[in-house]
Amino acid sequence: MARLELRNVTKSYGIYEAVRGIDLNIKDKEFVVFVGPSGCGKSTTLRMIAGLEHISGGEIVIDDQVVNRLGPGKRDIAMVFQNYALYPHMTVRDNIAFCLEQQRLSKGEIDKRIAQAAETLHITELLERRPGQLSGGQRQRVAMGRAIVRDPKVFLFDEPLSNLDAKLRVKMRTEIKRLHNLLPTTTVYVTHDQIEAMTMADRVVVMNKGLVEQQGVPQQLYFNPVSKFVAGFIGSPSMNFLPAKLVTEGTGLFVELKDGTRLAIPEARRSRFASAGGKDVTFGIRPEAISGSQERPGWVPFHANVELVEPLGSTNMVYFNVAGDICCASLDSEIPVTAGAMLPVSINMNQMHLFDLETEHSLLCGKAA
Amino acid sequence: MTHANVAAGRPFSERIGHVTFLLVSLLLAIIFLMPIVWSVANSFKPAAEALANPVALFSKAFSLENYRRLEDVGAGWQIYAMNSLLIAAGTIILTILVSVPAGYGFSKFRFPGQSLIFVLVMATMMIPFQSILTPLFLILKFLGLQNSLFGLVLVYTTFQLPFSIFMMRNAFDAIPAALVEAARIDGASQWTLLRRILMPLALPGVATVAMFAFLNSWNEFLAALIFISDQNKFTLPIMLVNVSSGIYGIIDWGALQAGITVTMIPCILLFLALQRYYVRGLTAGAVK
Repeated sequence: MARLELRNVTKSYGIYEAVRGIDLNIKDKEFVVFVGPSGCGKSTTLRMIAGLEHISGGEIVIDDQVVNRLGPGKRDIAMVFQNYALYPHMTVRDNIAFCLEQQRLSKGEIDKRIAQAAETLHITELLERRPGQLSGGQRQRVAMGRAIVRDPKVFLFDEPLSNLDAKLRVKMRTEIKRLHNLLPTTTVYVTHDQIEAMTMADRVVVMNKGLVEQQGVPQQLYFNPVSKFVAGFIGSPSMNFLPAKLVTEGTGLFVELKDGTRLAIPEARRSRFASAGGKDVTFGIRPEAISGSQERPGWVPFHANVELVEPLGSTNMVYFNVAGDICCASLDSEIPVTAGAMLPVSINMNQMHLFDLETEHSLLCGKAA
Repeated sequence: MTHANVAAGRPFSERIGHVTFLLVSLLLAIIFLMPIVWSVANSFKPAAEALANPVALFSKAFSLENYRRLEDVGAGWQIYAMNSLLIAAGTIILTILVSVPAGYGFSKFRFPGQSLIFVLVMATMMIPFQSILTPLFLILKFLGLQNSLFGLVLVYTTFQLPFSIFMMRNAFDAIPAALVEAARIDGASQWTLLRRILMPLALPGVATVAMFAFLNSWNEFLAALIFISDQNKFTLPIMLVNVSSGIYGIIDWGALQAGITVTMIPCILLFLALQRYYVRGLTAGAVK
């Protein structure tokens, strides 16, 4: 059992506020991923939880105990670092044993735990080697071994996969998730890679400029982003944003692009935007919500002037010009498409988003201004 | 692939360059090694041959006569060698005991006035040793450490510290901060952290510090001459002067070469033993 609670946690370096007040409740065994761009405060928050950074304000609570003044070694946490931080002069066995020795466990108990952890992570044959003799993936496993062997209350991961190549990263991602299923422990995982966040998390916390921008299950962030920032950060390729105006004509409500193109908002969604009629907005549409020409309710046909095609196998990333802005569509690779051609496409207006031009909050599910 | 194969696979001009490089290196090595070889060779010659004309590098007759005569200089070379050894060991131990925690502190902790204190410590390197011999003499006299090996150890350590602290700070700087953080999360105390994680990783730095402390204290002449007056407490460099300026200033060349050999050998052995660490220690922190 380990709940982790952050109560209005802040961190300042002189006048610069790196973390500007974070409130978060992490349930027992929950896998929470902090995601955000560089400098958003995610790693600082993780390091404050670990006790490696003093907190400037607020409280960090692990299982009803305020740990603000506890040293990192007394918080019963384990951390996996970006560069693994394995002790280079020790064997894998000694690396894993080090934390257990600090707890003054008996030799027998230490050996038993190391054997268990090594078996779980398939590193038994590496135990007598030194970190310098291991590959990146193996080092990553050892770093995880060092963490799980302690059976800590909370696991902290600080961008653990960013030093691995793309293929290994995908493999280790699955491995970490498998490990969490095998040994369910409260986990906080920091990454700047939104795909890692989406695939691994029970709950994703999107951070921006030292604040939590939005938190929720991955699907919620994808389908209902509260702001242009979240909409742009979650999803790959990124959501298309176009300057537009919301116009009413008769009973209809339209998104009018810069060049005068009007895209009808489906009837079911009109009521939500009706109050914003006449307003300048940012129109957001995901590449996946643009498809080859289809006649379906809520889909608006459109002619795209194709500028570039990126074939990805099953899909093609098609870039086209819309009213002076470049838009990306993820189209089925069976649709024949070449650069320079006019391509009939449809926009799924059931999945479109509108953002306030000034606050950048979503008009559909935005946070209170 | 062997070195020769690699060379054979190269174009002709490159091979010529390689051979020239080897020849020049060999020549330089001979120039540098010559005085050492000459001293060692001469130390094993019979006394009569030391000043023979024409000079021969090696003699057919092998003799330990020079070394035997060295025993008649003052209290005997073994006593001086032991004094030098005690002083060198004391200087090494004391220098390491002070510079390791100091370097650790400057590297891994932040405290008010840190940069200023560091600059002040470094600035003392600019003071010529000889210029403060008089005040040092007075201080040692006041402390009752004049004419004492320990007093000399203190003086040598003092002059060794700025460079050693600088070396150790660099050595600790080169250790990634994440290792310290990982050890703290693992629950290591400051002492465990220093002993089990940082010291083994900073070993090249420690080796460099130890070697410099040894060489400087082992070879130092002026302070030893001034602070020590008891003949039984002299060090090897002082003994060498006594050999070379014997009765009526007649120099016993053979015994002098034997003395030089005795003085030189520990330095060479230590350098060879530690050179691997020494080079790594000097370049630590140069690049990430």
